[in-house]
Amino acid sequence: MSNTQLSGPEALRTALISADPALSRFDPLPRIISLDRFSTGHCGWSQLVGNYEDSLDSMLPAYAQHSSAMLSTLAHWDAGSHGGMDSSYALKVATHPRPGARNVAIKRFTFRKRGPIRFELYFTFKPEATELKLSETDVRSVGFLFDLQGGDRDADAERVMPHIRFLNASDGQFLQKWQFKRRNETFTRIGTDDKTVSHDHLGPNGWEDFPDGVQRLCYNEIPTKVNWSYLRFDFDLETMRPTAFSCNDRSFDVSGFDSMRMPAMKNLWCMLNFCLFAETDVAKRAFLYVDSVCISGDF
Amino acid sequence: MLPENFTAIVARNEPWSGKSASEPYEAGWAREAVIFVRALKAPVGRMPTAWVEISPDGMHWMREGTSLEIPSVKDGIAAARVAHFGNWLRLAAEFEDGAEVPVLVTIHLKA
Repeated sequence: MSNTQLSGPEALRTALISADPALSRFDPLPRIISLDRFSTGHCGWSQLVGNYEDSLDSMLPAYAQHSSAMLSTLAHWDAGSHGGMDSSYALKVATHPRPGARNVAIKRFTFRKRGPIRFELYFTFKPEATELKLSETDVRSVGFLFDLQGGDRDADAERVMPHIRFLNASDGQFLQKWQFKRRNETFTRIGTDDKTVSHDHLGPNGWEDFPDGVQRLCYNEIPTKVNWSYLRFDFDLETMRPTAFSCNDRSFDVSGFDSMRMPAMKNLWCMLNFCLFAETDVAKRAFLYVDSVCISGDF
Repeated sequence: MLPENFTAIVARNEPWSGKSASEPYEAGWAREAVIFVRALKAPVGRMPTAWVEISPDGMHWMREGTSLEIPSVKDGIAAARVAHFGNWLRLAAEFEDGAEVPVLVTIHLKA
């Protein structure tokens, strides 16, 4: 962000951000909700556990596979620890080594005001380096989603779930494109008390391509070399619509974007959840690494 | 700042039988770990001794030397304490033919 055209408090704010090495790589909105640097811990990124009642057997299989994210130095057998951008650590979301397996990390808030929010992160992804091959089509996708719901007095309260993924490969085809998903998945009743339901909203069907959404990210030349990429997604909680989406040097048209929308649920008021996920395309673990995350809002 | 500590759920309601192991977990930041196993249902057959494994890369594994007995009753728990384990941790076990139990494996880490 250039400070040259700003004045007053905004100029001071942006100057302070620019002078702070932890924040300077981000463009946060006026209120920083959280700044996650994984040399300081997991920063609230826990695993997305599926809903259940009475028995864990009632959990949908797609959720049963999820496990805890970890703090990683991106340690590789051939080159040692790769490290993060300015510390040794990154958050790592790892799948099982089974085609189509996925894992999801989640951070849970509620919001104070229905206004603009901004989600920024530096990320990279790789398959487990079990082969001395480029392996560029082994990771199926990495992505993120928000899980939102209006306040309990809002006349228009809905549960709204914007989903975006980078479809790296599918069935061995190297696709490298950004997709979103608005198609709702079927809810399944969990247990017998009529209190809990579950839906596999990250299921494989219903993903749509962003216009001109192909992007060749820096994958590098062997499975153990990684480069960090920047991602930003702007969303307005007032309109429950996205306002911008970009990754590195590319911006993508969100005018045709929509989220999964469903009637408000009885216990999720003002929900403001953020998820990060990875999927593997082959019988090999896929790893999503996140160096840092900044979540901010205008309130 | 308080030292980091973290509870990781690495296997939840996974039916273990034959050769089983938890998924690799990176914990190089931690100086100590306690690994708990809980039998979520009544086990079938004889429960084996499980052992902690360490690895240089998350792909090649060897025994660390610590072991625990997989619980033989529903909701029984067992624990193994390890330190000086490098970066990678997992729990492994080998069951007799026909023996099986759904497990909850959790790793409790402290810097």
